[in-house]
Parts: sequence; C-alpha cells; structure tokens
Amino acid sequence: MTPEPFFALASLLFCIGLVGMVSRRNLFVVYLSSELMLSAVNLVLATFSRVLGATDGAAIVLLMIAVIAAEAAVFLAAIIHLYRGRRTLDSDAFAALAQTKEER
Amino acid sequence: MLENSLFAALAAFMLGGAIAMIWLKQTLYGAFGFLCAMLALAGMFALLENSFLFLAQMLVAVGAVVVIGLMVIVSVNARVSNLPHEPNKLRWMLLGAALTLPFGLLLYRALIHLHRAFAPTASGFGSVKAVGQALFRDWALPFEIVSVLLLAAMLGAIVIARKEPNNDA
Repeated sequence: MTPEPFFALASLLFCIGLVGMVSRRNLFVVYLSSELMLSAVNLVLATFSRVLGATDGAAIVLLMIAVIAAEAAVFLAAIIHLYRGRRTLDSDAFAALAQTKEER
Repeated sequence: MLENSLFAALAAFMLGGAIAMIWLKQTLYGAFGFLCAMLALAGMFALLENSFLFLAQMLVAVGAVVVIGLMVIVSVNARVSNLPHEPNKLRWMLLGAALTLPFGLLLYRALIHLHRAFAPTASGFGSVKAVGQALFRDWALPFEIVSVLLLAAMLGAIVIARKEPNNDA
C-alpha cells in the first residue's frame, strides 16, 4: 500500500469536519466536528510515523488523544451549562458577545 | 489484496459515519456516526501497524470520549423543539463544501508531495514498548504538560458544570 489513500482520507475527513463546524447550528454537532478535525490530524501523524518508520509521530498522536479527552470534558461541561441557562442547543441563541444593530 | 479491501471498507465506514454526523438532525444519531468514524480510525491505526495507537484510540476516543458524549446527550435530553431549526441546512452545507474543497485539494497535494512510499519498518514498530520509550525519553516534557492540562480541564469542567447555588431556574 502507498500513503496516498491515507492522506486523501485525512484531507476529506478534515474538510467534512470544517463543513460541519461552519454550516450547522447544533452545539453538539459543532463539538463533534472539532473532534473530527483533530482526528484527521491524528491520522496524518500516524501515517507519517509509518512513512518515516519513526515512533515520534505515534508519541505525538498519544498526546493529541489526551488533548482530545481534555477538550471533551470542558466542551461537554460548557454545553450542559449553556443548555441549563437557555433550554436550547441552538448556537445562535448564545449571542451575548455579539454586536447588535442598535449598538452599532 | 487484503490490505486494500480492508482500507476500502474502513474508509467507507469512516466517511459514512462522518457525513451522517454532520447531516442528521437528531444529536444522538450524529453521535453514533461519530462513534463509527472513531472505530474506523482505530482500524486505520491498526492498518498502519501502530498497535499501541489502536489500543489508545479504542480506550480513550471510543471508550471514554464517545461514551461521555452519549451520556451528556442522554442527560440533556433535548426535545426536537429545543434543537435548532435549520431549514437551509443543505444550502449552507453545499456552500461550505464548495468553499472548503480547494483547501482540501491543497492539503492533499501538499501531503503527497512529501512522501510517496512507506519505509520498511523494524520489528516491534508501533508496539507499546517502542512508543513508551519514545514518549518517556524524547517527549517527557510534553507528556508532563499534558498531564497538567488534563488536571486543569478536569477542574474547569467541574467549575463550569456546577449548579449555581442561588439563581437556579
């Protein structure tokens, strides 16, 4: 096997995550899309580790998996907090920092 | 070719899960699509002869992250009326896909420009022993920083999700 299909798959996965992040308004889907993009980076790192025959890529992927776990904890806690306040998962409802038309 | 057919099956599983995740309205189904993608990614790590990464992906990403996500979805228990109303979802997604496609092509071309073949691997490549030695010899400082990050994330999650004592609805 050659590394090209792995790279193609990782690029595609990253793009799917990016599309999900910018086009959906459900907070959970935004969170899962960011995880998907991180996982695509993991796939690229693992492929490079195999391509170069070096173990350093695998070590970085392990650290990235720990970062993904930390992100999951904080993001899910934030989702629970936001849902408790407004009773919605719509990201448009949380516009406290946005500039409204009257203020502009 | 067993490897190629395995890769094709895993890639179909992964892309199907990812597209289902960003397409479906119900968040629980989206989380199951994400579970499919993470399982297929673990299979990809195994296909790349990184057995320790396969284990870590299975234990942490599938076993912990997806399960805690499902638990939060179930405990939030949002009704369909509380989900965002997205009538133009297909239009936005097609626009986003059209805008990200050149970026994806650039990424792919840049990646395949670097290396086009796998190096022959030494015996024990990707095993727990080899990765552990690399982790604790060359990557000891990042490892410690990540442990502090995990502690900070744990404290932050507790503080954020804690019920406020006096002004609860």
